[in-house]
Amino acid sequence: MVRFTKAGKFLSYVFLTIYALIIVVPFAMMVLNSFKSMRELFMKPFSLPSTFRFDNFVKAWKFANIATGYKNSLIVASVTVLIVILLASMFAYMVSKYDFSFRRGMFLYTMLGLALPARLAVIPIFVLLRNLNLTNSLAGLVLVYASTNLPFSIFILKNFIDAVPNELCEAARMDGAGVGYIYYKLILPLVKPALSIVAIVTFVNVWNDFFFPLILINDRSKATITLAVSIFFGEYSIQWPLLFAGLTLSIAPTVILFLIFSRFFIAGMTQGAIK
Amino acid sequence: MCPSLRAGAFKNWGERAMKVRTKYVLLFTLPALILYSLFVVYPLLDSLALSFYSWKGVGPKIFVGLKNFREMLFGNFSKEVFNAFFHNIYFFSLATVLELGLGFLIAFLLASKLKGAKLFRTVVYMPNMIPLVIVGFMWGLFLNPQIGLVNSFLKLVGLKALARPWLGDPSTALTSIILVNVWRHLGFYVLVILAAILNIPPDLIEAAYIDGASNWKIASRIIFPMVLPTFRTLLILLFIGSFNVFDMVYAMTGVQAGPFRKTDVLGTVFYRTAFGGLGSAYVDMGLGAAVTVFIFAIVMPLSILYVFLVEGRERSW
Repeated sequence: MVRFTKAGKFLSYVFLTIYALIIVVPFAMMVLNSFKSMRELFMKPFSLPSTFRFDNFVKAWKFANIATGYKNSLIVASVTVLIVILLASMFAYMVSKYDFSFRRGMFLYTMLGLALPARLAVIPIFVLLRNLNLTNSLAGLVLVYASTNLPFSIFILKNFIDAVPNELCEAARMDGAGVGYIYYKLILPLVKPALSIVAIVTFVNVWNDFFFPLILINDRSKATITLAVSIFFGEYSIQWPLLFAGLTLSIAPTVILFLIFSRFFIAGMTQGAIK
Repeated sequence: MCPSLRAGAFKNWGERAMKVRTKYVLLFTLPALILYSLFVVYPLLDSLALSFYSWKGVGPKIFVGLKNFREMLFGNFSKEVFNAFFHNIYFFSLATVLELGLGFLIAFLLASKLKGAKLFRTVVYMPNMIPLVIVGFMWGLFLNPQIGLVNSFLKLVGLKALARPWLGDPSTALTSIILVNVWRHLGFYVLVILAAILNIPPDLIEAAYIDGASNWKIASRIIFPMVLPTFRTLLILLFIGSFNVFDMVYAMTGVQAGPFRKTDVLGTVFYRTAFGGLGSAYVDMGLGAAVTVFIFAIVMPLSILYVFLVEGRERSW
């Protein structure tokens, strides 16, 4: 692979270290300043806090409704992932392994969704959910997210299922396995890596989304974590240590999970986006 | 990494597919089809239809023909729309230069298998895991003119002259938002480009070294041409992404996209028009829908190209 001279190596390290610091220092500052008093934050923004005021976190946790936000985001993201995995794999399996009329058309129809940014359809989605009495509900969010994440998931899963030899399915069929049995006992176990890509990408997409909750939810008890933080920022805009504490709390679970499983996340997300 | 992606979902229609009874076809495909049709296809078509109406969100819809489009493209509202449109274009240009340029440079450095590269990958990817709107709020605090850390830092290192109200100054507001956006996304581009570089047959680079090629030559004559297809895909993603910008502007300069709409993008124009109300002279869901049709018309051709490119690639990286 690429080789550098000693000097070249040294320069690369310097450059990469600066970049890493630009990433890490803001996070560190956020955490440090969330322990300070307003006065201390103002006077000595870069120093370690003189006393660690855990109290800030207690307040932020309460005022920002972090617990509710976590709970709602977790429910919405998990249920969405389950629905997407189930429906997308069933669809991809049928289209990939069986011959029936409209097979191709059906697949291309779902692939249109890859090219259509779902946000642009938000007005009719809002109206539709309002008519179904599902605005301001987690179920409404789940329906929207599950649908908008289907095309990409079907695409990935069909690719993987295509790679399972047809002979394998035919052999299973000879032995008397039915359509459902082949799906459940043969296909799903064989495409586990694809299922995990789909699960990760969908989960992160849903967890990080702010647009749909902003438009579809207006009750604090139904706010996802991003919406909860946004409301909090509107209400406590001058209490900076609290704001920093709220930010820290809101991203802590994701960052910790990511640091533990980074390889897994990175592989899933980068492969997912490029396909 | 995943050989099965080489198959190409659009082309693989094996002759040997098995016969199946219709009731199974329906059982396996209808749930996905219904959900997708109801919440993706129908709303998009309805958006298109709605753009020919005037509607306040409740009450009757009034058919107005092309009036919304006239207003948007030639009327008073067009100033707002095109102001935002050019911000999206600026966003795309600057983000592309920085993200692909720096992305390539950093990926090239990482390709030498430096020690600690794994840890480094984790670090640079981390911001990608944080919701955009949270990143926006966080940097909004850092960039605050009075007590923001960025200005405090500049004062600390003797560059007081550079300190300014980053998000309040019309000349720096949008650029600041774009830089924060690059801060959030760069790691993704680095890792995708790195994967493309590592996918180049090592012999090719070895042979060049044996012939006495410099690193510059290797980067520009071998690696760059080999990762060009990846660049093409990323470019399209950047374009689509740049016209979807909303969260960060919302978090950093608000729905009014201050100062003086200097950070306004089509996403915020749309939000104000359809849902924002406050402070917008043009509140109408029909007009909002027309804005989405406009965005759609810009993004759609490239989106389709993206699907084809990704599909047409003979092997996955």
